[in-house]
Amino acid sequence: MRAIYLIARREFLSYVATWGFWLSLASVPMFMALGIGMPILIENSQPTRYYVLVDETGGTLEAAIEAQAEASRAEALERTREMARDMFGSNPQIEAALASQPQLSDERYIRVDAGSTDLDALRPYLTGGASIQTADGESGLFAAIYLRQSPSGAIEMDYWSANVSDSGLRSQIRNSLRDHMQTQYLIDNGVDPQLIETADDLSPAVRELNPERTGDTAEVTAAERIPLVVSAMTAFGLWVIIFSVVNMLLTAMIEEKGNKVLEMMLASTRHHEILTGKLAGVAAVSATLLLVWGGMAILGTLGVQQVAASADLPIADILAAVLDPGLLLPALGYFIIGYLMYGAVFLAIGSLCETLQDAQTLMSPMMLIMMMPLFLVMMAIDSPDSPIVAIASWVPLWTPFIMLARLPQDVGMFDIVGTTAAMIGTAVFVIWGSGVLFRMGALNQANQDTVKGWFSFGSKKTPAES
Amino acid sequence: MSETILELSNVSKTFAGKPAVRDVSFGVQRGRITGFLGPNGAGKTTSLRMSLGILTPDSGSVSLFGGRPRPAALDRVGFLPEERGIYRKMKVIDVITFFARLKGVGAAEARKRGLEMLEEFDLPDVAESKVKTLSKGMAQKVQIISTLVHEPEFIILDEPFSGLDPVNQNALEQIVRRQAEAGRTVLFSTHVMEHAERLCDQIELVAKGRKVFDGSVKDALGEVPRRVTVEVASDHDLRPILTGMGQVAREAPVDGHAVWTIDLASGTDAQDVLKACVDGGVKLARFEPVRAHLHDAFVHLVGASATAPAETETV
Repeated sequence: MRAIYLIARREFLSYVATWGFWLSLASVPMFMALGIGMPILIENSQPTRYYVLVDETGGTLEAAIEAQAEASRAEALERTREMARDMFGSNPQIEAALASQPQLSDERYIRVDAGSTDLDALRPYLTGGASIQTADGESGLFAAIYLRQSPSGAIEMDYWSANVSDSGLRSQIRNSLRDHMQTQYLIDNGVDPQLIETADDLSPAVRELNPERTGDTAEVTAAERIPLVVSAMTAFGLWVIIFSVVNMLLTAMIEEKGNKVLEMMLASTRHHEILTGKLAGVAAVSATLLLVWGGMAILGTLGVQQVAASADLPIADILAAVLDPGLLLPALGYFIIGYLMYGAVFLAIGSLCETLQDAQTLMSPMMLIMMMPLFLVMMAIDSPDSPIVAIASWVPLWTPFIMLARLPQDVGMFDIVGTTAAMIGTAVFVIWGSGVLFRMGALNQANQDTVKGWFSFGSKKTPAES
Repeated sequence: MSETILELSNVSKTFAGKPAVRDVSFGVQRGRITGFLGPNGAGKTTSLRMSLGILTPDSGSVSLFGGRPRPAALDRVGFLPEERGIYRKMKVIDVITFFARLKGVGAAEARKRGLEMLEEFDLPDVAESKVKTLSKGMAQKVQIISTLVHEPEFIILDEPFSGLDPVNQNALEQIVRRQAEAGRTVLFSTHVMEHAERLCDQIELVAKGRKVFDGSVKDALGEVPRRVTVEVASDHDLRPILTGMGQVAREAPVDGHAVWTIDLASGTDAQDVLKACVDGGVKLARFEPVRAHLHDAFVHLVGASATAPAETETV
């Protein structure tokens, strides 16, 4: 135990003393902040597009487009109100705040008057040769749109723009015109406009209900859907952490072999103690990362949840679902077993290699094995009952990730117990096998060619010793 | 009778069908310096690894401090492997402290001893330096300190002189002597016989995985036929004059003088040869009894072919 502790301590301190560790520690909160801030930044940094609309029909189409835009804005506002009610209940202050912001759709495209409707006159503005005066200063024209109606009644749109990648405005105008045409067609065929408006507003009232419950409690709430999202996110997070720390083990092991320290260590301790010490040391590093990141996330969520609960807001239930110990504890267990499995394998690979280049050969199949759960977790989100997902969760190296994503769904006890037993059994076997490989690799009795030899039908190579 | 600290009994080890050590037996006595000698690939490193339990013998047994080489016994051993290295990114004093603590020394005591030994080894200013900033010679000294800092009863050095310049080789010889004078037992392997001849009380000679000699340096030298070189200014043929005194051979002449070598037969000494030459009227230009060295003893014992590197390399 003394040797294991000392080796683990040395490993831990050797990582904690590096800049890389502190950068890693700071990276997650930094990327979370970026993740939240980036969409807002992107949205705010989008340039305002100015366009000229020329309605050659005398204003009919122009009015239709404006009416359609107004309807879209009203719909977006209503969706936001519904979301706010789900999270915060019927809060008069929030309702009032939303009412004061009636225009929720973006204002990226602004119609302007460039002083002319003639295309030749507008062309310099479209190609950068001239600019118009706007509230943001001088700017070129993003597009010039000409609408006309043929004698047969067909509506045509000529869309002039030097920008071929941003299709937002074109789609917006086309959709508005299409709706207008469809409505007009119905009117022309004798349908009452009022009737059309009423038909447009028709929408079913959908309630999602859980058959395991009855009465008022049967309705599925947002809080019940949250664990699905959280479990998938946790599975991805677990993958990222395990992948990061096992790479630390690999590089540390190769470095130690390169420094030729192992034999001196072996004169003081035994192979299994070195293996265990290294695993424990890097586990302590990852536990530190988890404690800091997870602690921040849990404390932050808990704090907001408490405030929300005291205000009796529905969001309190959603946040409570995020903090469900029924999800967090299995995640911890899956992390430990997953780390031990992959960590032992990567340590063994490191002990067989002199350089990172040597390790690449053995890493390739491991990378493929490690990449698969990412796709399977994504599949599990959409199709939790997929036979592929169910079968894949029985592959012990993938179990930690896929089962974690499946847990909030109705997974049978047989699957949970069976996959866990297979995973633990495999972890024990992998650690034992890695110990054997580590023992051989540490004294150069085996290398990457030895492993390649196991998977070839020819004679295997084993470095000799004297 | 002195205590046997390490005993290998009929130990064999084979790697991938190639025998590295074959039925080797020897013991290391407390308080003595024992040399484990042999050419590269003779099985020295494998034998030392088996002595420490790093490798398990295929057959035979190893006894260290009277039992199997378990961690408690290893705490009493200081081992310097042939492939030497230390944690390059750590501070010197931290490396020394780490290895001392692995051997059961308390943290404060390990640090104190480490600083004292750095002083003793003329490295007082590098304690807080990273190992990677040291010269090769300094780093080797740090590794030797790491091997000795826990004050082991038994010190095993695998090819300790390899890679050292003559000055540091001499310094290491002094260290080995000081450790022996302090009552510690030393076992070191080498393929350079001069070190062993100067340092050892006892030697074990191995070649191609087999032990070929076990005894003192004096005993080993006794195995070498004593030789006399005679330079003759006259035209005498020494073969009939020295009949029965040993094997007489004529070598290439030097300065116009005939040169003869005589490998003395048992019971004959140099004085007998000198007397026979004088009695025979031989005009001597040089008469030189040649002192045998351990290298000669080794070549004699195992044959010249054994000094060539074996098929497998030491690792």
